[in-house]
Amino acid sequence: MTPHDFMQLDVFASAPGRGNPLGVVFNADDLNGATMQAIAAWLNLSESTFVLKPTQPGADYRLRIFTPRQELPFAGHPSVGTAHAVLERGFVAPRIDTDGSGALVQECAAGPLPLRIAGEGAERVIHVRAPRGVEREADSRAVLASLKNAALGAVRPALIDNGPRWWCVELADEATVRGLTPDLDAMAPANRADGSVGVAVFARCAAPDYALVVRAFVPADGIPEDPVTGSANAAIAAWLRANGALPARRFRSSQGREVGRDGVVEIEVDAEGEVWIGGLTQTVIEGTLAW
Amino acid sequence: MVTRRFMHLDVFAPRSGAGNPLAVVLDADGLDTDAMQRIAAWTNVIETTFVLPPTTPEASYRVRIFTPRRELAFAGHPSVGTAHAVLAAGLATPRDTADGRRQLVQECGAGLLPVSVEGDGATRALFVQAPATQVLARRDGNDARLRALLGARLSNAGAALIDSGRRWWAAELVDEAAVRSWAADFDGIAALASPDEAMGLAVFARCAGSDYGLVVRALMPFHGHYEDPASGAANAALAGYLHATGQAGELGDRYVVSQGREVGRDARLTLVRDGGRIWVGGSTQTVMAGVLRW
Repeated sequence: MTPHDFMQLDVFASAPGRGNPLGVVFNADDLNGATMQAIAAWLNLSESTFVLKPTQPGADYRLRIFTPRQELPFAGHPSVGTAHAVLERGFVAPRIDTDGSGALVQECAAGPLPLRIAGEGAERVIHVRAPRGVEREADSRAVLASLKNAALGAVRPALIDNGPRWWCVELADEATVRGLTPDLDAMAPANRADGSVGVAVFARCAAPDYALVVRAFVPADGIPEDPVTGSANAAIAAWLRANGALPARRFRSSQGREVGRDGVVEIEVDAEGEVWIGGLTQTVIEGTLAW
Repeated sequence: MVTRRFMHLDVFAPRSGAGNPLAVVLDADGLDTDAMQRIAAWTNVIETTFVLPPTTPEASYRVRIFTPRRELAFAGHPSVGTAHAVLAAGLATPRDTADGRRQLVQECGAGLLPVSVEGDGATRALFVQAPATQVLARRDGNDARLRALLGARLSNAGAALIDSGRRWWAAELVDEAAVRSWAADFDGIAALASPDEAMGLAVFARCAGSDYGLVVRALMPFHGHYEDPASGAANAALAGYLHATGQAGELGDRYVVSQGREVGRDARLTLVRDGGRIWVGGSTQTVMAGVLRW
């Protein structure tokens, strides 16, 4: 097989090792879905993406997203990271909007998706618009029990659907979130019972660098705790907006310190109420993949 | 931020994707233990190794081996893969030995270990010497506990508890199909392995008329029901057991193992008896070569 350019990135990371890893295989038009899945399984990263020529007018590139087990129609950190990768390689150039910010359109299985770009290289911040988050009715008792009935915050716990379904649970304060040791054996069956991907706990913070602290647990999928989670942050922002409880139109959340990372997600809610999630990406590994 | 050469390899693999992955950071000088552990956690590869200059003239290079959680003194597939990376990067050249082999000497947490080199380029195979195998217990094909676990799949040759650093229960099954089609009962394997502090159960069968002499599956029940796609240590212990108990038979002093198809891979390991020693090895594919910036 012809070698493919490859990058392994760290997304939502201000330095290598702080964020959520992503594998990106370029020029993947000659790979079929089964080969992509085999590569993603072998790489064993939370997600790997494959960059393809666009098929829809207006799209700058197309990507397919795979976990080690399955293909996903959309996911946040793979979108942010892949956009960073194609810009680093100069495959595409962002269109410059009237406000000076750059824009790209990514084609994925969920459809064309707008991205906003500011800055360059390791300082480049990319935002992707998240699918809308809506509340699904569900009983929170089993999930709250798996959190060992930790002290709650002001906003009611809710199951938010923005593609995946996240339990969004505000806790009393930052220390309660960071010190939490949930009962994952109890959480996994609660997630399976209501079709949720996992539980995202959060609290408001008085820290200068971030307004929220977030942790995301995904035990039903064999992941005790995800280091930095785009979709969970988007779900939390949608739920806070619905409750009139956003800390600001633009704010940052801190996630991953409890698993040895230190990710930062930048969240923005626009005038139409759409949630954009973004952050910095570090190019950690660059090379050639021969499969 | 420093740029270092980096490789993501597939060990015991006749083609990309068939074997056991390994990440190798070359030029690892300047990384401290904490940074190595954080890189190994971030790559999320089953093992990541770091290549350093040797600290003694007898050694060709020095290696440190990390899982995402901890450092290991020695492991088989990381040693085979790291030697491949060192040769591919031109960091060391094999030396001729008195008994007519070519070898590298790896300096690692377990001391100085020889890595034997056969062939060159795409056909190159690398072998590591395995610790001697002790046979701690044997059970015949009528053993009630093993019969309950394996049923009619269990051969008359039975099973043994073997130890070459790590302990394994090893059970010979009647044929290749019995090995490949077994829906492993991990709870039953845990009950078997737990009292003896064994890693798990290796089931195997002889395969006449294939390009491999033995089919092996290595089943580890204690950390998420894991089936290893290619196990250097378990296969070396198994070879030591078969030779020590006079069961090698037609396998002879050199045979090939097929492992990993049941988990979507298709690894090949070669087991060699050389005097009283067992060597385990195979070929390695360079799946990804590039640089790491950390």
